[in-house]
Amino acid sequence: MYACLYLPGSGPDPLLNLALEFSPYVEQTSADTVIFCIDPLRKLLGSPYQIASEIARAGYERQLEASLAIASNPDTAILLARHAKGVTLVPPGEERRKLATLPLAALTTDEKLLDILLRWGIKTCEDLAALPEPGVAERLGPAGVQLRNLALGLIHRPLRIAARQSNYERRLELEHPISLLEPLLFLFSGALAEICALLRSQSRAAQLLKTALELAGRRAYHAVLEFPVPLTDNRTMLKLLQLHLERHPPEAPILTFHLRVEPVAPQRLQGGIFLPAAPLPDKLQITLARIAGMVGEENVGAPQQLNTHRPDAFRLAAFNVQPNAEVVVPGGEIPRLAIHLFRPALQARVRLVELAPGSVAAAGVRGTVMRSAGPWKTSGEWWAETAWSREEWDVALDDGGLYRIYRQSPTEDWFVQGVYD
Amino acid sequence: MELPQTGQRASANSLQITGLNHLLLNGLTRGTLVEITGSRSSGKTSLCMHILAQATQSGEVCAVVDLTNSFHLDSAAASGVHLDRLLWIRCQRNPEHTMRATDLLLHAGGFGLVLLDLSEANTSVLNRIPISYWYRFQRAIEHTPTILLICAASPQAKAASGYSLDCQARAFWLGQRPFTRLCGITVAAMQRKLKALRSEPLQILTGA
Repeated sequence: MYACLYLPGSGPDPLLNLALEFSPYVEQTSADTVIFCIDPLRKLLGSPYQIASEIARAGYERQLEASLAIASNPDTAILLARHAKGVTLVPPGEERRKLATLPLAALTTDEKLLDILLRWGIKTCEDLAALPEPGVAERLGPAGVQLRNLALGLIHRPLRIAARQSNYERRLELEHPISLLEPLLFLFSGALAEICALLRSQSRAAQLLKTALELAGRRAYHAVLEFPVPLTDNRTMLKLLQLHLERHPPEAPILTFHLRVEPVAPQRLQGGIFLPAAPLPDKLQITLARIAGMVGEENVGAPQQLNTHRPDAFRLAAFNVQPNAEVVVPGGEIPRLAIHLFRPALQARVRLVELAPGSVAAAGVRGTVMRSAGPWKTSGEWWAETAWSREEWDVALDDGGLYRIYRQSPTEDWFVQGVYD
Repeated sequence: MELPQTGQRASANSLQITGLNHLLLNGLTRGTLVEITGSRSSGKTSLCMHILAQATQSGEVCAVVDLTNSFHLDSAAASGVHLDRLLWIRCQRNPEHTMRATDLLLHAGGFGLVLLDLSEANTSVLNRIPISYWYRFQRAIEHTPTILLICAASPQAKAASGYSLDCQARAFWLGQRPFTRLCGITVAAMQRKLKALRSEPLQILTGA
């Protein structure tokens, strides 16, 4: 079912805005006519009669005295909205009866065709609909058949929806400079709520939030928040922005702010009933932002091994939960011996006995070597600043600890790298 | 007490740990604090890595809160930990940040296992942690699927913990000098709360 709104002399914006309240997909047939599909509204609002009442109420609130017609195809709805005042509801199958009294001039502006039909004595839609289709096709061609189908209310076509440019940015120049975070967040809250409502209405989500602040003293402040998961919740975005501003506060009072989001398709995933639960993406982002504010952004993330043999080579990437991750049957029944690293490695004094470590002394590690294994020589990346060359030993001290120590070349300095645990 | 048979049906309320069935009975009960303690080289970190590996392989999202920045990535990978399902928080020897970060993670929910690593912390630092933290953590995770695994030299959560394993180990070597190699350790673990229950010695091998 399609609803058509017609208001001559109204201009395009008021009708379009009214239609957009009910559907994001609106065809603007002309400056005074808009049409949209109401089928998705049936679950939300009820029968076509209830939908018509709701549209009429919204129009009344906006003081728009538009004609409304609801029919099973767009062209019938347009014809009835343009030629019948008030609200017209056409049940499916009743199109021909409702269109019967409309003059032929309502159907087309083709003067030549109209002239022929008038000479035949055809004045209304009912007259045209009563003609046999083969006869009309023989005498008037495809244009005549199209006109007859229009009079019968039989033409079904998709809506012609033009791509609309949405504005996902808000800018505000303040009358007085703001130097406190709380009033600034109050203003951000309103702006983000508007942007997020727009995003949700268009089935979009924000992946990137760019904030530009103009500060007193002609200084500027820029913040870019990239969300691992596209968001549509303005409260989550506001909290993340707040945490960012608390970590990196502007240096001067704020005169102007400009918020802009990059819209992307939202992430829609359904969790499996037999899969383990995972943290909610928006809640996780706030939690990670809070922890990063406490321990530092460089200390929070998903660890990744680097493609090198260099000892302890890793990087921390942004942590993002992969929903519906592949589950494997846990294997490896025997635990593997793990090392607890000392970062940085502890500088040590090592006494050698017969070319092997005899005793080790470092901060928190001291003892006589009871047993040792080594040396295991490793080196690499001699072409770069990250070059390393070392001799590693596994030693058991008399305190019961098993340590990995190494002698660095060419400085011959000894270090305790970690403890086997 | 009757030990579960091998291949017994897994309980939805617990995380099954292959290879440690005789030690952990029916696995790790969800919504509880589990402590694994022991001195240096007692095998506690290896057991924690093994549990972490099993959890991530089961699709759980896990986190490591690392007080002393000592988490060894290669050991974790060798144990079978899926690093893409692991969040690592390095607290740079700040116990307050460690406890607060753990608190935030537990209250955020959704994590299968959170490993709180206090292994290399000084006793004086650990003694300053208010005991109320452990009860707060216990309240935060009870009736949730999250398990808080604490790895420390000595018991911290005490009465707030559901399990407490105390580990002792002995190294075993292969060959005679100068052709010696460290092969692994033999761990004997004991449940502190069930003193009668002592595990069979468990061999933990090096990755080599």
